[in-house]
Amino acid sequence: MNKKKSLAENAKFVSILASLISILVGLLLGFILLLILKPSDALGGMQAMLGTGFSSLDKFGKVMYQAAPLMLCGLSVGFAFKTGLFNIGASGQYTMGAFFALIGAIVLQLPWWACLLLSLLGGAIWGVFPGLFKALFNVNEVITSIMFNWIAMFLVNLLIANIPVMLASAWGASNSDRTAALASANPGAIIPKGGLDAVFGNSSWVNISVFITIVVAVIMWFVLEKTTFGYELKACGLNKDASAYAGINAKRNIVTSMIIAGALSGLGGGTYYLAGTIQYVLEKSILGMGFNGIPVALLASSNPIGTIFSALFISYIQVGGAAMQPSFSSESTNIIISVIIYLAAFALLIRGSIQKLLSRKKAKEAES
Amino acid sequence: MSEDYIIEMLHITKEFPGIKANDDITLQLRRGEIHALLGENGAGKSTLMSVLFGLYQAEKGIIKKDGQEVQIKDPNDANRLGIGMVHQHFKLVECFTVLDNIILGVEDTKHGFLEKEAARKKVMALSEKYGLRVDPDAYVSDISVGMQQRVEILKMLYRDNEILIFDEPTAVLTPQEIDELMEIMRGFKKEGKSILFITHKLAEIMAVADRCTVLRKGRYMGTKDIAGTTKEELSRMMVGRDVQFSFEKKECKPGETLLSVKDLVVPSKVHKNNAVKGVSFDVHAGEIVCVAGIEGNGQSELVFGITGLEKASAGSIRLCGKDITNASIRVRSRDGMAHIPEDRHKYGLVLDYSLEQNLVLQRYWQPEFEEHGVIKAEAVRKYSEGLIDKYDIRSGQGPLTPARAMSGGNQQKAIIAREIDRNPSILVAVQPTRGLDVGAIEFIHHSLVGERDAGKGVLLISLELDEVMNLSDRILVMYEGEIVGEFRPKDTDVQELGLYMSGAKRNTAGKEGIAV
Amino acid sequence: MIILANIISLTIVFAVPLMLVALGGMYSEHSGVINIALEGIMVIGALCACFVLNAFDKSGMGKVHPQLAMLIAILVAGVSGMAFSVLLAFAAINLKADQTIGGTALNIFAPSFAVVLTWAIQGQGQTTIQIPSWIRITQETFGLEKGGNTFFNALIFKYFYLTTPIAVILFIAAWMLLYKTRFGLRLRACGEHPQAADSVGINVYKMRYAGVLISGFLGGIGGIAYTIAVGSGFASSVGGYGFLALAVMIFGNWKPVPILGSAVFFALFKVIAAYNSSIPFLPKLDNIKDKSSLYQMLPYIVTMIVLIFTSKKSKAPKAEGIPYDKGSR
Repeated sequence: MNKKKSLAENAKFVSILASLISILVGLLLGFILLLILKPSDALGGMQAMLGTGFSSLDKFGKVMYQAAPLMLCGLSVGFAFKTGLFNIGASGQYTMGAFFALIGAIVLQLPWWACLLLSLLGGAIWGVFPGLFKALFNVNEVITSIMFNWIAMFLVNLLIANIPVMLASAWGASNSDRTAALASANPGAIIPKGGLDAVFGNSSWVNISVFITIVVAVIMWFVLEKTTFGYELKACGLNKDASAYAGINAKRNIVTSMIIAGALSGLGGGTYYLAGTIQYVLEKSILGMGFNGIPVALLASSNPIGTIFSALFISYIQVGGAAMQPSFSSESTNIIISVIIYLAAFALLIRGSIQKLLSRKKAKEAES
Repeated sequence: MSEDYIIEMLHITKEFPGIKANDDITLQLRRGEIHALLGENGAGKSTLMSVLFGLYQAEKGIIKKDGQEVQIKDPNDANRLGIGMVHQHFKLVECFTVLDNIILGVEDTKHGFLEKEAARKKVMALSEKYGLRVDPDAYVSDISVGMQQRVEILKMLYRDNEILIFDEPTAVLTPQEIDELMEIMRGFKKEGKSILFITHKLAEIMAVADRCTVLRKGRYMGTKDIAGTTKEELSRMMVGRDVQFSFEKKECKPGETLLSVKDLVVPSKVHKNNAVKGVSFDVHAGEIVCVAGIEGNGQSELVFGITGLEKASAGSIRLCGKDITNASIRVRSRDGMAHIPEDRHKYGLVLDYSLEQNLVLQRYWQPEFEEHGVIKAEAVRKYSEGLIDKYDIRSGQGPLTPARAMSGGNQQKAIIAREIDRNPSILVAVQPTRGLDVGAIEFIHHSLVGERDAGKGVLLISLELDEVMNLSDRILVMYEGEIVGEFRPKDTDVQELGLYMSGAKRNTAGKEGIAV
Repeated sequence: MIILANIISLTIVFAVPLMLVALGGMYSEHSGVINIALEGIMVIGALCACFVLNAFDKSGMGKVHPQLAMLIAILVAGVSGMAFSVLLAFAAINLKADQTIGGTALNIFAPSFAVVLTWAIQGQGQTTIQIPSWIRITQETFGLEKGGNTFFNALIFKYFYLTTPIAVILFIAAWMLLYKTRFGLRLRACGEHPQAADSVGINVYKMRYAGVLISGFLGGIGGIAYTIAVGSGFASSVGGYGFLALAVMIFGNWKPVPILGSAVFFALFKVIAAYNSSIPFLPKLDNIKDKSSLYQMLPYIVTMIVLIFTSKKSKAPKAEGIPYDKGSR
């Protein structure tokens, strides 16, 4: 009995170790790159990246604020992973979620919680497409997701441009390349700070969204690990044919899973743009937040609880990255993130083979 | 040196993580002989041949060609030494033509461009000489399994190989086609080619081989002259104990009709035609009905249609009197149909789920295991521990063992435990013994007969005619999607079945079936 | 008429990168490796080529031998794209990593790296690398007189760059290599049935490396071709063209000639998006603002619709995306 437990704990330990290693390697390579580019500023740059998040309560408030959407995108990508789908479309779903939330806030003048529900809906609608295309026409969800990322971006640009009331210019500001500031358009749509601003030294960033998100993460964990629904979804992800054999409706599960994943990303878009500090700018390229959900999910091995921590980490180095300017572009953090993803691509594999080795040995012992 | 050996594999040891696949094995192939390599599934035959063909490197031991030690690091080395191999699973690129498949790897070029004319002439000449009829411009995806095997043989001949390895070549052939293959092999022998013939079928060895080397559990058991040995001796060497060739079972007392299939039509996933073309039969309580046939004649699709994995496009299926033609898999399963699938890794198990999760794969949704959408972990644990006990499923960590980490025999035991324990009325078993050793095979045969004796109906789909003859109470022969004959095992023999399986004979009146 | 000439020549100049990159993707996938890193590869190719062009501009050699400088820049783009694609090949082939995740990593890396590097070299905030004007092929290149704004001149010389003739050559070469040579036959075998290829002595790992590296080469050249087509300098992005090229490849059913066709088709939409106000035969849609978003969205929507109809009989290489493991044959 003891041995059984130690092995299960071992697996968790192995995956946390693998994540920590990839973070370290990522930071190291990032540092080397900075050294090559500007040796004199490299150390300061790294210090900025790694020290800023804790340097002040305000900065930490920003870490918390950005962690919420990251966490949701990470949950979205991770949830799809568990079902055997690669949701590279989190970005498009996030964009649609943001758009729906802003429509609720500015056009419909709804309170913040209703806007968040709308963002769930927006993301879910965008999740339907990759799910349906995969289930009905067997089109790879990666391709569909990539296409719908671009469609979302152009569509939202097009719609916002054609709904004059959405633009900042309709609310007394001069610019027409972004949506209205919520403070002037509908203060009731701003997610409440719940007294956190006082705790975080009057941070303008922090609000209760990070707690909402943590609750969502716990719910997702429960769904995946404890329910028959989660059992079915994971079975589909691990072996589509066997789940069909067991009478599980794989097609319905693919669509459901993508809808849930989409809704999570959409909620991420809602939490980001309903904070009242950021306006949606008409974009020329796809929003990066959804893509950053990928490293969040990978670092957490798609475990919803792990996602909480990996999102806080990614958010932390992003806040730090912004502080690296002007010596270095804030994009430096993305280099580190990409290294982490690159390593994670085969960390899954290394982890698997360690586990396999352990359990095979055990199995042989018992059989002989 | 008195013997003229063309190939000698001396004291070969090959290990995989946790298992010694070959342990000090010696095999000596004489020039111009047909040498059989006999062993159960998992005895190490394929590993040994992969070492000879350069796909694996042995840790210990040497290989000699014509008395000279040689290194075979990859298939190119093997090819240079004149060694060719027909793999058990054909190595053909489906969207290439027959000719492209034959020349792949040894292409001629002119000014850097492919030059196929000379190759075409050579292939046609070889095909003429050995009676290996093929169409060089046909796409592999469009030709029959038999013709694919001829393409594989031509691949060896095109490379002028003189040592030919056949890895379980008869598994996909009818008895008549097997005879033809034997004839072709004898022809090669006459030409002076040396043949290694891997099989676990004793009759074929007795018919064609000169000598036979036997392996058991990765070890060398000895080499015998066929002229001086018997089937019984070889099988004892192979299994390590006496094996019952026939199976004692009680008289069949068929009861009510449990499964009734009428004019069933199932489309194919591979091509545009229907794979099952209007099949009708019944399975009664207390009988084992066997569907025999060559692989790819619609048996898989028939099972897909009956179990609901594929939608039937016409006809009807009744389970215990209830129409289930359009019912979902879940409904069929709930109403008493159990299914031991053909491919246990693809369909039977979620390999990355634990044993206990796999054991409730067909029942996790039942009130016993589920409440308000939440799985009752305690109940699952208790139930699976019970099954593990009852069916002697062995694994490293009990219920928590990942299915992937279990041996093939125990994986199959888990599936059988799961399916039989649901107390089904009808059990559909598809090649349930494929790839297993004799011990596991006996267990499975006993389980199937046990179900029959308990008054269940069993529909068994098998490619192994011995299994068909031993287990069944009635035999249906399937050919090109139709049932072309119906027999009782005591009234027929393998040769007759073979004629029906190859389409040479068909009994249209047999559609009505034998009176039960 | 001049407008028509403009549209045709612009379509060609935009079709060139799409076709090259899609052909690259085709090579990678025929070897069995899914390459969604094409976007990143393009960025790296364009980045390196732009630096080379700037260096030639500063040294003065660019003005003296513009087309030679351009040729060198194109080669640099190809080689750097190839070098970058080694990262994908290593992860996908040696480490048997998930190819989509590996590709995503490269796609995030490339633009960030480009920004960081440009910033470090050009100084903070200077994120756009300018492209010298001498790279365009003009009448003077051939020693002709500079003509007026005629149909012919607009058609040929308005957007004529060395990348166009090179693309034509590469297209023919790519087609012949894939279908008429020993290498092509073996490459396709690796993407369809690597076990079969291995059993006849073909080194699957080498062939897959070859496939990915060719896609890196073509992708890198596609990157500079795109940057030239846009004409406003390189700002660490290729605007999703790598992803669009994936769509072109799928739309072209993994075959060179249909890929050429679909590249032209997609490029046409891009041009319409930019020129919609001045094209007489398009619906006016006066009430709609930001029409270019509408037109830019269309190719993606068309791709999805086409995928619905073609996915059932898709000619995608059977073994693509599956790491080849010598142990599991």
